[in-house]
Amino acid sequence: MYSTASSPNQEQVEQKRVSRRSRQQYPIAPRQYSRIHRFFRDNWEGWMFVLPLVIGLGVFTVYPMVQSLFWSFLNYTGNQYYYPVGINNYISILTKDAHFWKVFGNTCYYAFVSVPIVLISGYLLACLANQPYKGIGVFRVVFYLPCVIPGIVSGILWKDMFSTNGVFNQIFALFGGHSEFFMSENSFISISSIFLMNLWSIGGGMILWLSAFKAIPTQLYEAAKIDGGGRIARFWYITIPMSAPMIFFNVVTMLIGTFQYNGSLVLYPPTGAGYRDSMNMFAVYIYNQAFISAKWGYSSALSWLLLIFIGIVTGALFFVRHLIEKED
Amino acid sequence: MTETTIQRESIQFNQKKKTGERVFRICMYALMTLIGLILIFPYFFMVMKSLMTREEVASAELVIIPAVPQFSNYLQILTDSGYVKAFGNTMFVIIFNLIAVPLSATFIAFGFARCQFFGKNVLFAFMLSTMMLPGVITQIPLYGLYNSLGWLNTLLPLTIPNLTGGGAIYIFLARSFMQSLPKEIDEAAKIDGAGPLRRYFFIGLPLCKPILIYIMINVFNSNWGDYYGPLIWKLDDSFPSTLAYKVFYTLTNTVVGNDQINIRMAAGVFMSLFPAILFFIFQKQLIEGVAMDGLKG
Repeated sequence: MYSTASSPNQEQVEQKRVSRRSRQQYPIAPRQYSRIHRFFRDNWEGWMFVLPLVIGLGVFTVYPMVQSLFWSFLNYTGNQYYYPVGINNYISILTKDAHFWKVFGNTCYYAFVSVPIVLISGYLLACLANQPYKGIGVFRVVFYLPCVIPGIVSGILWKDMFSTNGVFNQIFALFGGHSEFFMSENSFISISSIFLMNLWSIGGGMILWLSAFKAIPTQLYEAAKIDGGGRIARFWYITIPMSAPMIFFNVVTMLIGTFQYNGSLVLYPPTGAGYRDSMNMFAVYIYNQAFISAKWGYSSALSWLLLIFIGIVTGALFFVRHLIEKED
Repeated sequence: MTETTIQRESIQFNQKKKTGERVFRICMYALMTLIGLILIFPYFFMVMKSLMTREEVASAELVIIPAVPQFSNYLQILTDSGYVKAFGNTMFVIIFNLIAVPLSATFIAFGFARCQFFGKNVLFAFMLSTMMLPGVITQIPLYGLYNSLGWLNTLLPLTIPNLTGGGAIYIFLARSFMQSLPKEIDEAAKIDGAGPLRRYFFIGLPLCKPILIYIMINVFNSNWGDYYGPLIWKLDDSFPSTLAYKVFYTLTNTVVGNDQINIRMAAGVFMSLFPAILFFIFQKQLIEGVAMDGLKG
């Protein structure tokens, strides 16, 4: 075809085409170099700043997640002899595991009851501590003080107070009662004892609501008062909608946190499972499966189930919020 | 005549309202005092237990106030080489993290708040989504990783990962704080020819003092009471245990004085002392920080 090109005009066109092609094939043209250069020049500052984060996410989050997903399909126990089992880990967790559904129920009971308790008790306390009285700051400090005490210390303290001859049983004995608290075989009693213990640190919920109150302009309340809105109406139509975004976020993080509750390790050492699994919860169960029984593959599958469960609950919460916002 | 009666009635009404309010206020104070006493009682109980003898602690009778306060319990802890060593280890971990976490978190946050770069939003969203991730999921592979690195049974797993920001929540808080600061200072410095590191160290960092304090207090508290981390990364007794883990260990292991509740309570009082003091000093920043926490929604 090239040989048939006779006219000079066509030759020129052909030359041009060749030269353009060569420029594309061999990127030595200054314009292309400068584009990469400019891209790098515009971005290197930001990349430098987030480099630690990228390394951290890669090494301490992404790699372990991929690894754990991989292990969850293996019969891996930490030694070199293992074989793939497909989804058998998941199947045996959901159908054969004698503990799993008990653990799951306990976790749900703990998470879905403890978060409303924190919110409601925290709200009531915040209403008290929000009064413009003299010396209210002292009360706030006193209410919040139990929250700064480390979990291990409060665990030891309450374990002692709830012991057979502890303070609570001595008081109950006056009325002829007795309770096993954390040692109880009944999940309802042992987990409710954890709620009772958590009530000691309602100051955290109080601070949460106080900062929510602070963000609401007082004019709204005054306007509602003039229009004849009562206490309940004001709570329902002003406090709740105005503090909803913040409270919503905290509910989500609190729920995620409570699904991973491992404080029972202190309350029922060393397994944290409680008497006959009475307060065996997800995180503690995974800990025992992984680090005591060394079933790494199995516990990886368990932790992925926990992640899926948390994902479903969080997604449901966001969906409910979406519905409510749509209605308004 | 009528005017004066109206006045009198209104005065009476006001007085009635005033006395009603006063009664209400007194009731509120009484209620708050009651709640305060209930909340303080467990702590008081712990202090009392830490001052008891072994017999008093073990007795079936309820003893609230010890006959003779045994300050020797505290002396026993302060002279026990295990506790002293554990305190030293805790201090090492905490001081390392107190420097590493605020610096790295604000460093990363500066990039998010003040620089434009390719992939910024994706990276930020990904970082936020890791807040949802349960810690147990990364725990098991990290155990394997640290095992192959030879980090198990040392304090490195408690310190080195914190060089990378110390958690999404701190980076997020630092970023929103930096975004609330005026951008003009940074831009002026840029025009004057200051490089990114200089802008971070001399302009960004000094302005971040409130959020730095908030992060530092939280880092202190979370590391001070952390028994779960050491529990996982420990292999045998040669592990340099931290204070929280030491207390946990004496709780679980019957060989090392599980029956000595008074000593354990003394350790507990000692442990709760530091966070309480920090709280008293920085209560305003802490409460404001929680308010900042709330703005993320």
